[in-house]
Amino acid sequence: MKAFDEFLHLTLTQAGDEARREGSATIEAQHLLLAIAAGHESVTLDLLSSSGLGYEALREALHREFEHSLAAAGVRLAPSGPPSASPHPSRTLQMGASARTAIERGVFARHKKDLRPAHLLIGILGAEVGTVPRALALAGVDRHTLVTRAHATLPPAA
Amino acid sequence: MPGVEIPEVQDPADGLAAVVALRRLADRMEDAAVEQAMREGWSWPQVAEALGVTRQAVHKKHAKRLIAAGVQLRRR
Repeated sequence: MKAFDEFLHLTLTQAGDEARREGSATIEAQHLLLAIAAGHESVTLDLLSSSGLGYEALREALHREFEHSLAAAGVRLAPSGPPSASPHPSRTLQMGASARTAIERGVFARHKKDLRPAHLLIGILGAEVGTVPRALALAGVDRHTLVTRAHATLPPAA
Repeated sequence: MPGVEIPEVQDPADGLAAVVALRRLADRMEDAAVEQAMREGWSWPQVAEALGVTRQAVHKKHAKRLIAAGVQLRRR
């Protein structure tokens, strides 16, 4: 349990950095996923890399999703990307709905002693709609296979 | 932006994702545009009026960020 708490704490802290980096006032599911990809927990890192999702590949996939979704509204980003702005260094970040749902889905229904980092990943990947599944689909990642692999890493009782 | 038109969105998932992406882009553009205006000597009331929000709202949202970035802010 202590190891999971530590993992969750580190992941949330890193997710906050990811959110700030893109100027978001909320931590969303994609920030949790980026945080896991930027982390050091071997099971979740192996799972992501087995689908070609290193940190940079994931950022690229999320950027493609952003561009793709803007295109649906007829908006195309300049090659230089969105305009740059100084960050909000002291802003208190809120937990966004997608991150909250991912944590609830992956973590809340388990006994604390059974919790593993893969549970958080499963919670994030369990979203059927939204930014994360769209980004993974655009990157050609089979989300369901990844979830199945993640389940396979868990001990039988978990 | 020449040639921009809003296509008819067929898939609701695309339409909803476009809303999310546009909000994110709008937030980013606001941060950038407010910063540029204040660097060029605009006042808070001018920026607020241009954005259609109150002076208090724009100050609360951006003042700390711009001070941290070293922008010289006009009092009025």
